[in-house]
Amino acid sequence: MSVVVQPLPEINPLQDSLRFDRRVPPCAIVIFGANGDLTKRKLIPALYRLFYERRISENFAVIGNSRTAMSDDQFRDRMKESVSKFLEDAPFDEDLWRSFAQSLFYVPGNVNDDALFENLGSKLRQLETSHQTAGNTLFYLSTQPSYYAEVVQHIGAHKLNRTKGWCRVIIEKPFGHDLASARKLNDDIHQVLDEPSIYRIDHYLGKETVQNILAFRFGNGIFEPLWNRRYINHVQITAAESIGVEGRGGYYQEAGALRDMIQNHLSQVMATVTMEPPAVFDANAVRDERAKLLRAVRVMKHEDVPNNAVPGQYGPANVGGQNIPGFRQEEGVDPNAQTDTYAAVTYFIDNWRWAGVPFYIRSGKRMPKRVTDIAIQFTAPPLSLFKQETKAGLLSPRPNLLILRIQPEEGISLRFLSKSPGSGMRLRPVSMDFNYGSSFGERTPTAYETLLLDAMIGDPTLYTRQDMVEASWQVVQPILDVWGVTKFDFPNYPAGSWGPKAADEMLARRGHAWRNA
Amino acid sequence: MSTSVIFPAQPEQILKGLSRLWTSFGQEEKQQGKPTVLRACAMTLIVATDETDNGFESSQVLSELMHEHPSRGIVLSVNEQVEGGLEARIVAQCWKPFGKAQQICCEQIEITATRKNWPTIIPTIIGITVADLPVVLWCRQAESFSPNCSNELRSSLESLMNLAHKTIVDSRAEPPSLAFGTLTAWKAQGRLVGDLEWARLTPWRQPISQIFDNPARENRFSSFTDIEVAYAGDTPSPSVVYMAAWLSAPNGARISLVRARGFGQGLQRVRLHSQSEDITMERISDDTVHLYSTNGRERTYNLPELSLHSLMDEELAVLGPDPTFDAAFARAKELAS
Repeated sequence: MSVVVQPLPEINPLQDSLRFDRRVPPCAIVIFGANGDLTKRKLIPALYRLFYERRISENFAVIGNSRTAMSDDQFRDRMKESVSKFLEDAPFDEDLWRSFAQSLFYVPGNVNDDALFENLGSKLRQLETSHQTAGNTLFYLSTQPSYYAEVVQHIGAHKLNRTKGWCRVIIEKPFGHDLASARKLNDDIHQVLDEPSIYRIDHYLGKETVQNILAFRFGNGIFEPLWNRRYINHVQITAAESIGVEGRGGYYQEAGALRDMIQNHLSQVMATVTMEPPAVFDANAVRDERAKLLRAVRVMKHEDVPNNAVPGQYGPANVGGQNIPGFRQEEGVDPNAQTDTYAAVTYFIDNWRWAGVPFYIRSGKRMPKRVTDIAIQFTAPPLSLFKQETKAGLLSPRPNLLILRIQPEEGISLRFLSKSPGSGMRLRPVSMDFNYGSSFGERTPTAYETLLLDAMIGDPTLYTRQDMVEASWQVVQPILDVWGVTKFDFPNYPAGSWGPKAADEMLARRGHAWRNA
Repeated sequence: MSTSVIFPAQPEQILKGLSRLWTSFGQEEKQQGKPTVLRACAMTLIVATDETDNGFESSQVLSELMHEHPSRGIVLSVNEQVEGGLEARIVAQCWKPFGKAQQICCEQIEITATRKNWPTIIPTIIGITVADLPVVLWCRQAESFSPNCSNELRSSLESLMNLAHKTIVDSRAEPPSLAFGTLTAWKAQGRLVGDLEWARLTPWRQPISQIFDNPARENRFSSFTDIEVAYAGDTPSPSVVYMAAWLSAPNGARISLVRARGFGQGLQRVRLHSQSEDITMERISDDTVHLYSTNGRERTYNLPELSLHSLMDEELAVLGPDPTFDAAFARAKELAS
């Protein structure tokens, strides 16, 4: 399989790559599920923001689709309301909106109805002339996952992928609900599209701070020599949310934390932290290394699951004077649901660099705070020369800790020991901080701005590939198998806590502890 | 938040003052038991200004710029009344990102001197630039464009430019021939020069350029043989000439500069003419431009007057050679002469 990012032909003598943004080719974007939350909250605000910053081509158009009957103007009005409500860090400008709205269109219809695709084809041909979209089409599948294969089949049947320009399809998560369904979905989609045309979105990879992990590791010479089993004791990856299911109880009880976070986002983050350096920085080379890493993650035997994977579900609690319902009391949730609102796993990567180093990954809802970070704990010095003394007595040795903070305080901290001023050799931990937002000050583009632009440009570096998706399903599949036939005594952690005791015990068995448990 | 200390302008004393300043922040952190301040520095940014209020505006711009370009800022200003002919003040410019507990702080050194004492500042500057990081000079001395520039100033500026990786000026208020003459002389000495008047054009240039990004477009840029650039005011400003130069540099299209009524001074309209199509970008209010073509496409852009902060932000992001500017500059020189 080979993916080549095609640069635009050098036809424009006015280009100024130092001062202008990346060149984005003209295109039409077709959004299936345009009446949904994602379109309103993320996609259209991201496109408006790109337009505001003059980062998208003058020749672009958006066609929204859903079952709801609407005219172009009604669609524009709805989107205007959403953009003015959900736009972050930018003023809403009426004049600009009018200009932007001229490129918004709406085609109603059911995704299993041939007539919809006839109409879409006709609209796309019309836009090719009126908006000079050059026949380039980006389809965005934001529908229910069960429709993905059908939509793609219709795109193929109506030859919407056979225009004179390019055709790319962005597919939202979840990509399958287990290994078998992911493989089936891949097979179905490949009947119409070749792999380079498929852009499976994982918005975590679009986050600036996740991309910065690559810059941190491969743009600096001082960290890479330490980045291996000799110097790293273990790694903790945490994605905690303080909120609950926020009205998505129905969806969430079918998914759970393992499927919703660990199988996709956090596995990709782990792969970014642990992959080998690519020979060159291009889409294929980077994704090859990520895929290779994911294939090296040890797949647990069923009997190993209880010791290496812990599910949790939050129960009711009073947090700061507020009564928080348990998961089973949330609207739309089965009162006997066995859903994991928390999952913690221990992974091992069976390659030369990482053999024997545990990777602890956890994600949960209703935790004490919202935080996503990666903590890399280095091995302690072989000999402890200095006593870390306090009035209370001797401190246990504190190993160096490198923390890559994804959100909310994006940045990097290195914790090390330093001599306290004064006589005697007393040490205390200090922290050297790099704060991403503060150091650059500039507004950080949202993940969807980054990923939409990349798809328009044809750069799939931050999108996941078939082999990556299947490899990460392969790793979680034994856990899903075991959890699927086990009846857990839920709830096993109160809302506002750091998860079940069993997760602490999972680390304690190897002499480790969660950083903030 | 800022803290200031007055010192004679000796490098060692300034550096000691800086050290004390950061130590005091450290003590504050100790009292609060958590990190409260983050020191940030990515370059030395020297501002040589003829402002008479101790470089107040320049200091303001530096404090805004530290968000994107944290630096050790050095503001040199003229004050004939300063006691002893030379003094320095140290300030920590701090800001707290929204919702964050920790402040980000950059150091700023304000040096005030009588005109006569300017040459004596140079050894001080050499002593206080941050090692191993780029040095940028922002020259805000209007006199620097003048053929009658005093010897003290000329020599001081040359010494500062020798220290700097890049020198940034703003030619806006100068006649183009005079501005381009001075910049030509500096460039001939191998100096890297940026002009804020060029940065003012980026929001105009990008949408025009994007039109020709479309590989399917039949009417290529080379078919536009006539270019009209309209300006308000008595004479075209350097940015008007830059615009004409940029558009005519690739193919040598015919250029006409015309006066027009408009919104404020300077660039008002750009029109590209070919046999089959006219493309016009035109200011339609103080902060909006309209781009339209005879083929029916039109689009409106938000284009407010860019602040000094925005312009400097762009120039500081280009610290190496800038081939597009160089090509436009070479053509602008021809057009202005």
